[in-house]
Amino acid sequence: MEVKEVLNIALLSGEILLTSGSEIYRVEDTIDRICSAYGIECEAFVTPTGIIISGWAINGPNESMSLVKRIRNRTINLHNIELINTFSRELQESTMSYDQALNKLNDMKKAPYFPFVTRLVAAGFTSFAYTVLFKGTIIDGIFAAVISMLIYSILENMKRFNFSQYFGIFFCSLTAGLISIAASHLISSLIVNSIIVGSIMILVPGLAITNGIRDALHGDILSSQARVVEALIVVTSIGVGVGISLILMKYWM
Amino acid sequence: MKEILLAFIGSYCPAILFNIERKNLFWAGLCGASGWMSYKTILTSTNSGIFAVFIAAIVVSIMSEVMAKILKTPSTVFYIPSLYPIVPGIPAYYTVLYIIDKKINEAALKGLETLGSAGAIAFGILLVSTVFRFINTQNLNNKGH
Repeated sequence: MEVKEVLNIALLSGEILLTSGSEIYRVEDTIDRICSAYGIECEAFVTPTGIIISGWAINGPNESMSLVKRIRNRTINLHNIELINTFSRELQESTMSYDQALNKLNDMKKAPYFPFVTRLVAAGFTSFAYTVLFKGTIIDGIFAAVISMLIYSILENMKRFNFSQYFGIFFCSLTAGLISIAASHLISSLIVNSIIVGSIMILVPGLAITNGIRDALHGDILSSQARVVEALIVVTSIGVGVGISLILMKYWM
Repeated sequence: MKEILLAFIGSYCPAILFNIERKNLFWAGLCGASGWMSYKTILTSTNSGIFAVFIAAIVVSIMSEVMAKILKTPSTVFYIPSLYPIVPGIPAYYTVLYIIDKKINEAALKGLETLGSAGAIAFGILLVSTVFRFINTQNLNNKGH
């Protein structure tokens, strides 16, 4: 296979990993592994917002090639990380042709998700569990579950309109805050705070902050900053959304 | 018992949101439940949140590495969902909320708590994964000879 084709496959694998929320060192390892399976020397520089690879054949003409890929969306999709991991290990054992590898990677991009309803129920149960775990009552938990199912479906539907991700999160936490306050007015035994905390549990970026610091510990200082700043913006949008609803409550009551 | 079950759900359901394979779901939940239990136990006996989170992260990552070996998947698949109960998402949210409410002292406290627990978890994972990587390379070297 030509250098260009190998680099293309490595880049595509890296892209899938990065958009699935993988760690930086794993992306760089995978790119190295794929290139070395085809006998190509390469150097990869990966940040959460982009990938740069350059490679050259070990016993070929003395010229190198570079590819750049900009990454815009990052979610967490652990199934894809698993698939790419097996893919790169398969390549190490026996190389496959360019078209074969390309087909395999394109299939992964549309790998089956859990159906929407399953995820919706999962979001509801997550919020229920955390509301009760953080000292709310069962009824608080049920309200939090309903609210989180609502905001999860809003968030999923908003993806179609190409809004900024942070606007979606802001809008969802504003909704969560307003509904929790309204509900606690109707039923006075509810605790507003635990309902809000439970229902935004599916939005808060605790994992993103932790992963950011992990990147720093692996030596990827630049990526770590990018991730921590992203998490800060997310948590600020949540805080502002809920904050506005709480201020509105004080103003009205 | 109630808390074990809740922590189990609290890792099992995020695992669905993070789209992991069906056969791994149960193990991710188990991992999360034991992480939460060790967090609670240490917290009640030492009263230090950051230390408790550190130990819980170590427990979770040891379990994930072992499961990853047995089930032949990357260990990330297990510890991302099972860290969900202990990562400092809610303290981070409170930090912003206190800033909006002009309670700067509380905000600073919560902010430091967030950074502290995130750092402790990250360090716990790094510690375990370094040890496991070392064992792996040792095994490979021994096979080579």
